[in-house]
Amino acid sequence: MATKLKEIDAVVIGMGWAGGVMARELTLAGLNVVGLERGPDRRPAQDFALPGIRDELKYQQRLELMVDNSIDTITFRNRAEQMALPIRRWSAFLPGEGVGGTGNHWGAAHWRFQPDDFHLRSYLQERYGAKAVPDTMTIQDWPVSYDELEPHYDRFDKVCGVSGKAGNIKGRKIQGGNVFEGSRNSEYPNRPMPSSEGGAMFADTARSLGYHPFPIPFSAASAPYKNIYGVTMGACQACGFCTRTACEANAKASSVTTIMPALRQEPKFELRTRVFVSKLVYDKTAKRVTGVLYTDLKTGVEYEQPAGIVVLSAFVFTNTHMLLHSGIGEPYDHATGKGQVGRNYCYQFEAPAAAFFYDKELNPYMGSPGGGVAIDDFNNASFDHAGLGFFGGGYFVASSGGAPPIDGRAVPAGTPSWGGQWKRETVKWYYHAAHFNTQGSVYAHRDNYMDIDPTYRDALGRPLLRLTYNGTDNDHAMSRYLLSRLEGIIKAMGPSHYEMRPRPRNFTIVPYQSTHNAGGTIMGTDPGNSVVNRYLQAWDAHNLFVMGASTFPQQNGYNPTGTLGALALWSADKIKNSYLKNPGPLVHA
Amino acid sequence: MGPGLVWGVALGAVLWAPPAWAADVAHGKALFAGCIACHSETPDALGPSLKGVVGRKAGSLEDFRYSSAMKRADFNWDAANLRDYLQDPQAKVKGNHMPFSGYANLVDADDVIAYLQTYK
Repeated sequence: MATKLKEIDAVVIGMGWAGGVMARELTLAGLNVVGLERGPDRRPAQDFALPGIRDELKYQQRLELMVDNSIDTITFRNRAEQMALPIRRWSAFLPGEGVGGTGNHWGAAHWRFQPDDFHLRSYLQERYGAKAVPDTMTIQDWPVSYDELEPHYDRFDKVCGVSGKAGNIKGRKIQGGNVFEGSRNSEYPNRPMPSSEGGAMFADTARSLGYHPFPIPFSAASAPYKNIYGVTMGACQACGFCTRTACEANAKASSVTTIMPALRQEPKFELRTRVFVSKLVYDKTAKRVTGVLYTDLKTGVEYEQPAGIVVLSAFVFTNTHMLLHSGIGEPYDHATGKGQVGRNYCYQFEAPAAAFFYDKELNPYMGSPGGGVAIDDFNNASFDHAGLGFFGGGYFVASSGGAPPIDGRAVPAGTPSWGGQWKRETVKWYYHAAHFNTQGSVYAHRDNYMDIDPTYRDALGRPLLRLTYNGTDNDHAMSRYLLSRLEGIIKAMGPSHYEMRPRPRNFTIVPYQSTHNAGGTIMGTDPGNSVVNRYLQAWDAHNLFVMGASTFPQQNGYNPTGTLGALALWSADKIKNSYLKNPGPLVHA
Repeated sequence: MGPGLVWGVALGAVLWAPPAWAADVAHGKALFAGCIACHSETPDALGPSLKGVVGRKAGSLEDFRYSSAMKRADFNWDAANLRDYLQDPQAKVKGNHMPFSGYANLVDADDVIAYLQTYK
């Protein structure tokens, strides 16, 4: 029997980006907030300091900052007729754990979606015909527009100290920035990072071919920056270690570096770490969540924490699993297409390329993801899809910086993976490799979804979440097209050797591809097409707010975090200005 | 009072050869904004407090976990040592943990030192 604790104004489950934003905003609104985090606390002075943080074996290879698969994981299969098996070691995607969550080890690519991404189905039908979208493609419009989110995108930029170059300020297009982006209210808080040599070469060639290159928006401060919560960030040192690890210089934005320093001084906030939330306590009649059940992983003792407001801000898989396991909403039934929870799971379709320039020194030992140069000429609404046979797209990025000693040893295909020949080739090519990526969209398909696994269980004995996903014909066609366009640019750069690396027909859980998972608890205009409303409030429990990319109706051709943070601020704003005064459904369907 | 006398007083006060230009404390303070993300005065700071650092023995604060390299550094933070360190931290104290590659411009280092002398 769980020990029942004293009721609190709000409880936040998962202290990553969305949880950090909500905890800060709700305490500013005067609420007492408890933050529950399954992983450990992460304190920069102890956990992110040099030299330990540059231990590539520990962080990049052995995945120190990720969810412990021996405690919790998901099962996976490609198709509904297969038996799913548990993922026993993360590879294709890397959900993070501990305060900061996946935001500790991200590559800090900080994007906005295009205005037309927010009304995707209507946009495609208006432009390409009412019957253009296939029946199996279950994409839908977002219930919020770009213009409504813009002030919150802007605010989130100023939480993170983003470094970049705007391409559209108040409708005025600016060359050198992303001219395909929606109108921004203001320039990025910090100037872009210097381009890597490979990125600069890509920029020159892309520009000569008529494309529109710009420095990738990077969620780290290129110069010292004080954010809107009064927290000071340091300047990025281009150390060369960034993704899969945390920042040694307080420069890369995460809830640990940009929000927790303020929350740690906040008497209205209490952090509880190493607590595993197992279930939301749901009163179906009252359409309320009365609290959460959690197990303290240090003692094994189970507690019930009653709360006025419950914010579910864990990773996509945990959010979806929590609703399914707690009996909130109708589970998606693949056979009939009915039900909402678990529907519209979308991955990100990233396909890379590499090029080797034997006569050029590309200084790969240093750099940051912010040294990448992108073009956005092949995203959703950037180009005409008529006659192409697919929808969607994605940006391209090129870079040569930040190749750490173990993982940063690019060699041409066909090189042995060990031994003398491999050693000679890594030495030969280390200075000369540039890397490219296509950040492809994934448009929802009725066969890609999440539900409860019938066989495998987690450390608390709960059935695991089961993921059924495969690349669709549409997304493969989209990706092949992006790679063919990228190949044209790479060829024109004149490399000694290059390789396009298309994804295999069937999605596999190795090797690493992208941590951008989305969907499962999607937002929409009514309970018939979604799990949460436009303010991320659950249709079936008015005091439950679900945060994160699990609320995206589909995946666009950009990294999700910029939008995820903007949505959290948008929801927090509505809770502060409407919900607290008059608790109840914020949208009447 | 001639310029020679001013220099003489300055030399006597700080015991080091001053730059041939007047250090700009305000500019040093502005540059120091680049340091305080780590060198803040909070208990959780990534870097040691720099309050009163001028004249302090290197690696000597009891509540900060220094690198072995900094613990071994057997000198005081006088202006000359600070100047060498801020130009090239790894050359001065090889293996120290500060993620900063140094000021390319000597004027910047001297201005920061001038500010640190007032930071107590």
